[in-house]
Amino acid sequence: MKHSILSEGDEEPMDPVRKDEFDSEACGSIAPKAKPCPRPKPGEAAGGCSFDGAQITLLPIMDAAHLVHGPIACAGNSWESRGTLSSGPCLSQYGFATDLTDSDIIFGGEKKLKESIDYIAERFAPPAIFVYSTCVTALIGEDMDAVCKTAAERIGIPVIPVNSPGFVGSKNLGNRLAGDALLQYVIGTGEPEPLTPLGVNLIGEYNIAGEMWDIEKLMNSAGITVTSRITGDARYKEITWAHRAKVNMVVCSRALLGLAKEMESRYGIPYFEGSFYGAKETTYSLRQMAFLMNDREMERRVDRLTEREEARLSQDLRPYRKLLKGKRAVLYTGGVKSWSVISALKELGVQVVGVGTNKSTEDDVRRIADRVGDDTEYIPEGGASRIIKTVRERKADIMIAGGRNMYVAMKEQIPFIDINQERHKAYAGYEGLLRLAKELTYSLANPIWKLAASPAPWDKEAHPYDR
Amino acid sequence: MTVNRRKKPASVNPMKIGQSLGAVLALQGCYRAMPLIHGSQGCSAFPKALLTRHFREPIAVQTSALQEMDVIFDANRNLEEALNLVLSKHRPDIIGIIGTELTDVAGVDYQNMLKTYKRERNMRGGLAFSVVLPDFRGSLESGFSSTVEAMIDEMIQQVGHRGSRSVNTRQITLLPGSFLTPADVMELKEIISSFGFEVIALPDISTSLSGHLLTGFSPLTRGGVPLDSMLQSLQSGLTIAIGGSMERPARRLHNALGTPYKVFEGAMGLKASDELLHFLHQISGEPVPLRYCWQRENLLDSMLDAHFQFAGMSALTALEPDHLYSVSGWLEELGVEQKALITSYETPLVAGMEREVWVGDLDDAEVLGKGADLWISNSHGIAGAQRIGAAFMPAGFPVWNELGAYMSVSVGYRGAMEWSNKAGNLLMQREAGHRESSVRHR
Ligand code: SF4
Repeated sequence: MKHSILSEGDEEPMDPVRKDEFDSEACGSIAPKAKPCPRPKPGEAAGGCSFDGAQITLLPIMDAAHLVHGPIACAGNSWESRGTLSSGPCLSQYGFATDLTDSDIIFGGEKKLKESIDYIAERFAPPAIFVYSTCVTALIGEDMDAVCKTAAERIGIPVIPVNSPGFVGSKNLGNRLAGDALLQYVIGTGEPEPLTPLGVNLIGEYNIAGEMWDIEKLMNSAGITVTSRITGDARYKEITWAHRAKVNMVVCSRALLGLAKEMESRYGIPYFEGSFYGAKETTYSLRQMAFLMNDREMERRVDRLTEREEARLSQDLRPYRKLLKGKRAVLYTGGVKSWSVISALKELGVQVVGVGTNKSTEDDVRRIADRVGDDTEYIPEGGASRIIKTVRERKADIMIAGGRNMYVAMKEQIPFIDINQERHKAYAGYEGLLRLAKELTYSLANPIWKLAASPAPWDKEAHPYDR
Repeated sequence: MTVNRRKKPASVNPMKIGQSLGAVLALQGCYRAMPLIHGSQGCSAFPKALLTRHFREPIAVQTSALQEMDVIFDANRNLEEALNLVLSKHRPDIIGIIGTELTDVAGVDYQNMLKTYKRERNMRGGLAFSVVLPDFRGSLESGFSSTVEAMIDEMIQQVGHRGSRSVNTRQITLLPGSFLTPADVMELKEIISSFGFEVIALPDISTSLSGHLLTGFSPLTRGGVPLDSMLQSLQSGLTIAIGGSMERPARRLHNALGTPYKVFEGAMGLKASDELLHFLHQISGEPVPLRYCWQRENLLDSMLDAHFQFAGMSALTALEPDHLYSVSGWLEELGVEQKALITSYETPLVAGMEREVWVGDLDDAEVLGKGADLWISNSHGIAGAQRIGAAFMPAGFPVWNELGAYMSVSVGYRGAMEWSNKAGNLLMQREAGHRESSVRHR
């Protein structure tokens, strides 16, 4: 019997992804919401809420104010927790919250919301205010849209409701809902200055550890300009004119694919999905930009640039490649897509022997499969114990995952590299790959692994059967 | 004196931390425990990430993973599912169900559900309790102490039917407040036991979050006070509570079992340490161990050395209520002017302070503390301190800009000395920075 990919038959040895996620329309796009995102399992759930996801997408708009409407914890426990960097304004790093109390919840928090918006507008004069709903304000039925609308009219700046309370679903869904808010309230509401050269929108690149800057530098040296950054190190204004860009690049972020699709149908902007992890992916992405810009001269410049950069990189990488060759890694990423990191690791000679597919869509899994060997283990869902088991069984040398699992790895004395939102190292582009190679080498070569593994001298004296 | 609030509608740069995080923290100090947050995913993911960032340790916590429809129709179905899974898969000794604002506003009755659940499954041997902790009330501190209280309640109920209690007068139950670091709890245990007492700390984060290498991963807590010691603590002859917020759990033990208690509101500085040691000396009849006599000398000497540094200096402190009280007492001894004291919510302890206290956020700290030389708060304060040009001293929760912050000691003579030196060094560096920049600008 031929099983469709959706079936749970035994023929599928790994069953790499929960079946609901195969519906690529489910979490990854704006269009029909035929199927809901998979329900998290009580007692076994991990990961953030949709509110968190919406913030991840929008907080990098650095000059805007971001106001969280709800009791304190949603904002209080989450502000300043991301590694997104700013090259200038930093109002977005302020934690704003309506901080609702008992009585606000009984009598309604709309008045407090209104006053908070006015207060922020007057004191900080931001170009726009984003207002986030949270579980409680959604549950008690606050009419945030209306409050925002009248506030915007009153104070004369955009006040954008982001309806992504935590309990509607996963972080991914929150990313998508934030994309919806941008489409509905921001994109297309402004125009670039007349002489601004137009180019590419970078969608879903959040400037973690400054990666955006490396990417921009590369693009600029090939003569490609960035029209809008959506949203790493962005300014509010530049997103209002995103509809004037010639190309959209979705930077390994499926959740915002819907945004690109919608912009294609509304404004006729072609888009492609790409990544900057690894030299090959970087080269491909730059080429793709030039190709879609439909500019011969630009294509030639890209070719020259990528050739030069790749040659230099392979020179610089030589000593590290020697050390890293044949090393085995288990990769478990949340935000950053596994497939692109796999490419980067492969270029360094590191073999990926286990890979997390918990957040991957069908396309992602296909891409992963294209890039790894047959004996790579797929880890369909989270749980640190599962990851560690894979590391042990597959005799991996290093674990590459998000901060959540960092200290778990430390306890098990497994070399570790942080790949997610909270990290402090930029791994994008050619420079980034070199940085990754160095990081891997430092981590593997650190003397601590030997020291921690050897017992105290008095323990060595003990007879083996005593222990 | 008075507790003030600045009038402004929004909280700007909040220092308040959700109560439920305090509950998760308290449960980390119990061995093989699992805090189970009855709420949506984010309500457990944020605290987990934040606690991990502060302690640099894996944190045990789970969630009932409520989604919109679950909240509206039957939230307890999720809780039951979560309980089933956690119990069958991990077999925790202790399980704490933490209600959130979501279950509170939706009016979910999980207390009764838990009772029925325990009866139906014939659950014995472990400790399972619930606590109501919506985030629109209190802060980390109240969440922590309420959880300890609920835990004690459950313990009392469980052994209640086992007849009379034999009191062990050489055993003391220590109730350490939420603001104490693992190293603080360790220090307190050592001080008390140096007078010949057995100490059972409840909870005991000194053996769970102090950073030790235990291999063999488990999603439960790995360290902390084990269940049998917890139950044994009911036999203690005395309870010592550190921090005003821990008085209620102490009183609970007193009311149910008659255990006398002593609350130490402050824990920092010479006077507070004197009080503690003097008390222990009196109740034990033992002399104060030589090493503390030495430490006292060391502290006085270092305060003399540092007093030049502190002369004419001012500080602003923004911390949770008990912690604020404690630190303020220490600053008093250093002769530092206290420009502003800001806390997250009002408690009887801060309301009774002789100084003016503000309930507010880090933005208030920035405004009220303008001109201060030293800024003491959690790591969220770094930017504000920079803006007003104060030296920044991380304290409280969360601290992420310093390695080993969770191992720093603030209690006892040793703690006061460590803090005095640290604060003095920060001020000295700041002065050096000023000097350098003035040379450069000439
Ligand atoms: S799940 Fe809801 S209440 Fe919890 S942090 Fe997310 S938005 Fe806030």
